[in-house]
Amino acid sequence: MRILEVPSLVLRVSFRNLWLYRLKTIIIATLLGMGTFIAIVGLTLLKDVETSMRASIIGSVAGHLQLYSKQAKDDLAIFGSSFMGRQDIGFIQDLAVYRDAVMSNPEVQDFIPMGSDMGMLGRGNEMDDSLDALRAALKGGDPTIITDRVDQLRFQLETLVKEIKERRKLLSDMTQLDKQELDLKQAMDPTFLEGVKRGEEDRLQFLETRIAPLSGEKQPIYLMYLGTDIGLFEKNFSKFYVKEGQALPPGQRGILLSNKVREDQLKNIVARLFDRLKKRVVRSGVEIAGDPENQRLAQDLTRQYGQVTAYLDRDEALSLRTKLEAYGIKPGTEDLILGLTEQLKSFLTVNDTNFVERYDWFYQNIAPMIRLYEISPGETIMLRSYTRSGYLKSLPLKIYGVYSFQGLEDSDLAGVMNIVDLVSFRELYGQMTDASLKELQEMRAQVGIKDVSAENAEDALFGEGASGHIEAERVAPPVVPAEATIQVKPMIPELFDPIEIQSGLALNAAIRLKDESQIDKVRQKLEEQLRARGLEAKVVDWQKASGFVGQFVNIVRGVLIFALVVIFIVALVIINNSIIVGTLNRMREIGTMRAIGAQKSFVVGMFLAETAITGMIGALLGTLLALSVLIFLGWKGIPATTDVVTFLFSGPRLHPKLHPWILTLSPIVIVIVATLASIYAARHAAHIQPAEAMQEKE
Amino acid sequence: MSIAVRIEQVSKIYPLGKTSVQALKEISLTIASGEFTTIAGPSGCGKSTLLNLIGCMDTPSTGEVLIEDQPISRLSDRELTRLRLNKLGFIFQSFNLIPVLTVFQNIEFPLLIQGGLTAKERAGKIEALMEEVGLKDQAKQKSNELSGGQRQRVAIARALVTNPRIVLADEPTANLDSATGERIIKLMKDINKTHQTTFIFSTHDPQVMQQASRIIRLKDGAVVQV
Repeated sequence: MRILEVPSLVLRVSFRNLWLYRLKTIIIATLLGMGTFIAIVGLTLLKDVETSMRASIIGSVAGHLQLYSKQAKDDLAIFGSSFMGRQDIGFIQDLAVYRDAVMSNPEVQDFIPMGSDMGMLGRGNEMDDSLDALRAALKGGDPTIITDRVDQLRFQLETLVKEIKERRKLLSDMTQLDKQELDLKQAMDPTFLEGVKRGEEDRLQFLETRIAPLSGEKQPIYLMYLGTDIGLFEKNFSKFYVKEGQALPPGQRGILLSNKVREDQLKNIVARLFDRLKKRVVRSGVEIAGDPENQRLAQDLTRQYGQVTAYLDRDEALSLRTKLEAYGIKPGTEDLILGLTEQLKSFLTVNDTNFVERYDWFYQNIAPMIRLYEISPGETIMLRSYTRSGYLKSLPLKIYGVYSFQGLEDSDLAGVMNIVDLVSFRELYGQMTDASLKELQEMRAQVGIKDVSAENAEDALFGEGASGHIEAERVAPPVVPAEATIQVKPMIPELFDPIEIQSGLALNAAIRLKDESQIDKVRQKLEEQLRARGLEAKVVDWQKASGFVGQFVNIVRGVLIFALVVIFIVALVIINNSIIVGTLNRMREIGTMRAIGAQKSFVVGMFLAETAITGMIGALLGTLLALSVLIFLGWKGIPATTDVVTFLFSGPRLHPKLHPWILTLSPIVIVIVATLASIYAARHAAHIQPAEAMQEKE
Repeated sequence: MSIAVRIEQVSKIYPLGKTSVQALKEISLTIASGEFTTIAGPSGCGKSTLLNLIGCMDTPSTGEVLIEDQPISRLSDRELTRLRLNKLGFIFQSFNLIPVLTVFQNIEFPLLIQGGLTAKERAGKIEALMEEVGLKDQAKQKSNELSGGQRQRVAIARALVTNPRIVLADEPTANLDSATGERIIKLMKDINKTHQTTFIFSTHDPQVMQQASRIIRLKDGAVVQV
């Protein structure tokens, strides 16, 4: 007799048993339903995160494939490896031959040369900024502007005097403070300032070297930078866009700042603290009261009043005092600086009630008055980096604009790189360009050194046994330990021939394909093609090139599968146990069936049917619940609570999609696996002898 | 007259921890077709063991049991099950109906396992039997809605639905009052006469024993009277 011939009988008996032992049925159905829910939701989110992460990585900086030197000591990890410090991925001496080889493959769309490294950005303080502005005004020659800048300076000097007085309360050694006060007194002398207005160099130098350091030195910022062909980069990385200013013009040296770096590191600390609090309070919904991190930020904010007053001239200070008074915060004293300080302290004391209002007021009224960003498009910075030979190199770079990646504005991973032209990158890396080699030859002629090649120029010039001597200039303020740097001013011109970046050094290259589904196939083909031309290079896919970030999805998949396996094992143990226990309660029924003439296979089939039905009920409920949750999340979106999650979601929110194959296959697989796994227990039940079953009392 | 059951020098030994129990001691007997036989004896005499062997629910330790000249000791579980389905019918002391099924469905159960009949053919057979056992109007009722006597009637109908050669009943009236028990035995007797089905049932009730045409008495696993 086959089960299929009597489905209604089996179903009837099965349903009866399921109803009779409904607690057991509910437990098993719930477990299997839970497993179905986790499988569907987990697999859906995994698929969507994989898709969006892929889009983030490929569309921001990795491309479909990455090519780099076979001599690399470390694996390429575009978003950083788990180890601190610079990666050693070797270099590609002449990218032209590699590009020709790669572009000969018809599946390849583009070959984008790259190189990344880290440099330092030295930073002045507020007085340095004012003195720079004064120098610029003196150069311009407009007396009104010059007087305005000197007034601002005077105001800062007054602020500084008060700060020194405060320091007296904290320090024990007064000798240095006495000296500082004397210097300040001299600087504030009207005749001294008149001399400053006339642009007297000794007075300007006195201010720069003796007075400016009293404001304190800011920590240098470490900037990651990516050197590339900006035209190809813009064309091939769809998520890239210029937020402020313009992209690097072709053939022009310069830098594009990362918007994230600018916001997180180069923005006024008051604005930064306000922004961070807003993210946590408004976006993540974490209140200030009761949250230690938020309270720390709020306390820090209150202390940063000096970062507002340092940027104001007298008129601005007066205006702000009036505005704060109108806002409802009155000064406690007539003294402008002291009164404004008290007002600002009060304004910057935020809580859950006033935060949003104060945030808006700050940006409307205070931010326009102060220098919101330390550097902005149009300015020039000095970027310092260690060359591969170990020398510290400085390069002036004009900031053309600020860029970001679509949807990844809040992501540290994508936005950590500032973009420079490839020629500047090579200079900082230590490979001499044509222009700098020419400059070197001229310098060499001055000091009488024999011929040197570009590759070992630094060693010849500056290494042991070098016959040259270059006077080291101090470029750092006195408080910074002196480093021998080569003042490159301007070592190489601002313009370069675009042909120069068609060949020459790069560290790696991104490869864009015409068809994304061919990644693996093309990767293998490219390695063969390169080998055939005698070129040594590694070609890896975007996931491998992303290091830890690329492996993240694999890790999440592993965790999800592990969780499902654990739930399954628990469910299966419970199912098997419940069947075995069930047989004890149903000995008479099983024995009767067997006595009447039902084969063992009938009994096995009956128990399997019960498991299958329970599984179907649980899987159906689990599927319906998962569907509801996914539809809701698809509409509302899952917010990205951290920067890393923003990157994985390719934006501030992930809207999960419905995948029919996940919705249909998950419950089917679960029911089949559960049913098959109950075979052992079912066979156990079938082996009950009719005779022993007849002995049992009900 | 043909022989329905032949038992030749059958012993049945059950292991009991480190020792063993001999439930049947080399018994030999025959039961002819159409007989209405009872197996009687005190508790523990081996009645149930003998019925299990005849019912092909167990195999002898030594000797041979032949059902319609077919020896069973070497048959596989599958073959024994098929034998039970096609040649034997069972009536149990506690009725052993399947609770979720109706009267009709309980009687239908063995036919469904057997297969080979259409729904209409099955219905015809079942209705005739229900008429015969006096349950014509109870077709749609569940077993827990019936009296003890009615349940036993259903069990009788179920046991007969496959036209078995032999019906085995283990203490069929033990859970019934005497009046009902008498009626059940009378029914079984009537069916025995009508269908010439061999009935073998165990009992220790003397009144029931009187109804049998033959009594096989057992004591301590041996036949003392035939």
